[in-house]
Amino acid sequence: MRDLAKQRILKVDLTSNSTSVEEVPHAELVEFLGGRGIAAKLLYELVNPGIDPLGPENALIFSPGTLSGTSAPSSGRTSVTCKGPATGLYLKVSGGGHLGPELKYAGYDYLVIQGAASRPVYLWIDDDQVSIRDAGHLWGKTIREADRLIKAEVGDQDIETALIGQAGESQVLFANIMLSVYNSASRGGVGAVMGSKGLKAIAVRGRGGLTVAHPETFYQSTVQLRKALAEDPSSQGLYQLGTVGGVLREQEEGALTSGNFSRMGLDGVERIDGQHLVDAGYLTGRESCFGCSTACHRFVRSFSSAYGDVQAVGPELETAMALGANCTIADTEVLIKANELCNDYGMDTISAGHVISWAMECYERGLLNQERCDGLELRFGNGAAQLELIRRIAFREGPLGDLLANGTKRAAEEVGGDSWKWAMQVKGLEQAVTDTRIAKGYALSFAINPRGPDHLMTELIAELGYSEQAREVVEKITGSKEYADPSMIEKRAELVRWHEDCYAATDALGFCAFTSTSAYAITPANMAELMGHALGFELSEEQLMMAGRRVVTLERCFNAREGARRKDDTLPWRALHEPVPSGAKKGMITDQASLDTMLDEYYSLHGWDPETAIPKRETLVALGLAELCSDMPVE
Amino acid sequence: MSGLVVDASKCTACRACELACSFTHEGVFAPWLSRIRVVRLVDRGVNVPIVCVHCARPACVDACPTGAAHIDRESAVVRINEDECTGCGECVKACPFGAVELSAEKGTAFVCDLCGGEPACVANCIHGALTLGRVEMVAQRKRRATAEAFALADQGG
Repeated sequence: MRDLAKQRILKVDLTSNSTSVEEVPHAELVEFLGGRGIAAKLLYELVNPGIDPLGPENALIFSPGTLSGTSAPSSGRTSVTCKGPATGLYLKVSGGGHLGPELKYAGYDYLVIQGAASRPVYLWIDDDQVSIRDAGHLWGKTIREADRLIKAEVGDQDIETALIGQAGESQVLFANIMLSVYNSASRGGVGAVMGSKGLKAIAVRGRGGLTVAHPETFYQSTVQLRKALAEDPSSQGLYQLGTVGGVLREQEEGALTSGNFSRMGLDGVERIDGQHLVDAGYLTGRESCFGCSTACHRFVRSFSSAYGDVQAVGPELETAMALGANCTIADTEVLIKANELCNDYGMDTISAGHVISWAMECYERGLLNQERCDGLELRFGNGAAQLELIRRIAFREGPLGDLLANGTKRAAEEVGGDSWKWAMQVKGLEQAVTDTRIAKGYALSFAINPRGPDHLMTELIAELGYSEQAREVVEKITGSKEYADPSMIEKRAELVRWHEDCYAATDALGFCAFTSTSAYAITPANMAELMGHALGFELSEEQLMMAGRRVVTLERCFNAREGARRKDDTLPWRALHEPVPSGAKKGMITDQASLDTMLDEYYSLHGWDPETAIPKRETLVALGLAELCSDMPVE
Repeated sequence: MSGLVVDASKCTACRACELACSFTHEGVFAPWLSRIRVVRLVDRGVNVPIVCVHCARPACVDACPTGAAHIDRESAVVRINEDECTGCGECVKACPFGAVELSAEKGTAFVCDLCGGEPACVANCIHGALTLGRVEMVAQRKRRATAEAFALADQGG
């Protein structure tokens, strides 16, 4: 049994074929909260500025949360951190499933992969026995095939795996890593980094356990929090319909974009909403990640003449919006199949959807002709073309597959003309589906996100004020529920900064965002209390949130060191320049002036230089980062 | 005494039961030391909690050479007395369900003891896959469910 506070790092160098174990100093665990926090520190120290994200100098860090593996509800998530190949900047993604706790039971809180293997390998962590094994026979296999082969090879069906598919092997810049077969650690091309290291898989068996400092108080608190979470209306909605239950609401509120953000609304969109998956019998099971009773994940099955018997997971809301609505495809069978293909090949469905919807717009506007599309008629709404394109992208097959595998930013540079204007990306990452023209806080949070424009470093849903709990969170941060209004610019900086701090702490402890920033049953005060009971000392809510801010600031420093400045904190051209074209939200826009106002407030709140967006020296001193970040550029 | 009733169709594999069990019995968080284990058939999306059913004629008790495995007279629950257990593993081999395990820590066998009547796993099972009930009630409930299904089919629904 291992004391949870004695954190251990397993370092694997694939170039020299060697492994080593280090301990995390206790003071660092308190300062950075572990998980994502310590991973950010490790990345800052291990990865020098300017290196190739797809070269052996990059580090790939798996870090379950500090509380992962305990009874703390919904705390089994794993952060994966590296320098991102899509953006050339800091990249943290988070995945669920059961891998992280298994790694902890094997005796490790961090797995740091460095170097690159000369031929395909996989890592087999069997408690304290760590081996680097040949993966020649696994290369070229899908996620599910490779998982089956590894389990057969080690003779244990209960092990956990982290895998890349063909997309990761061919270094698609939005390849992901699948944890426990079905849970994606997505965005920014983490799978490409794993592929560049020749690492097909990580397989883990852990037969140890964890102890905490104050067992009884810790356990009783977690039992209460699990019940509170089960009673939270957002959690109950997620159990019933999954995230994809939000599609129709977007449509009803006039906030659903289609046609690569060029149109609003989509006829028949109810066919890709969560309610339809239940009513029409697609849903076959609700699935949890480790320790989570929300069970928002779905198993689905579809039968059709076109695609036969498909047994798959999801789709999530973002998947339905990106691969469905944004490609103007409201077809249940196509969506389930497209999601299955992305999962099997190991690709981020958000970026896949956006790169395809971007290409469809290019085709319709005559910038990509049929010849350049290798014969595909790439019109909006063409589901068969979408499915074929997913496969070509995963294998980088043909000129179009290879072009789109690099993401919309690079593809637009190649295609030229005005195509960059409808590339819905910033920093090289395709944006998530929330329409930032309608929600000002989201606009700010997407712009400042160190990994690129999405919701998964903040999740600002509270500003929409959908529930009483959400309005109470807004009141706690700003002093008034009135600010739960996404059309307002006022107080957006405060809201964003609080959510950043909270999200960083949430990730560091291993909690899911669906506990603290889009359901609200687990507050920062709860997190601080649990962390205190686990580690054996008093930790205040303020200390926890300040540690979150330390992590957020360190991540900003990583990007500043790579040359990112204020100009990079922006939004896609279309989002800044084309008002919502129709429907209930017609005419709404978050323009550059509004964004600038919010950015000025945000930087000043953080103590970052508003000209450069680099953290000021005094800010670093106050956060205890001055020594670590002594290489901050001064301009 | 009532026993554990498992409805696998409601299990989402959150494994809160495993954590509650290992903590309640061992004071640690370690699924390997849990008396209940959730088997995930990942290809099919099916999750099945496996736990001792407290057989009336337990194979583990028959197989135990020292008498450590026994039926508690008062509660009719299968128990393993750690002090008498030699860790030979005969009970593990005999159990047809895989519900008996050996502790790598202690070198002795362990099995569900129903927490003296208030199982921690049931208290932490949010979606009702684990409940406490009497086996005759299970049969009665299943008969009713079968009758409902029959009635539905009969009406052409």
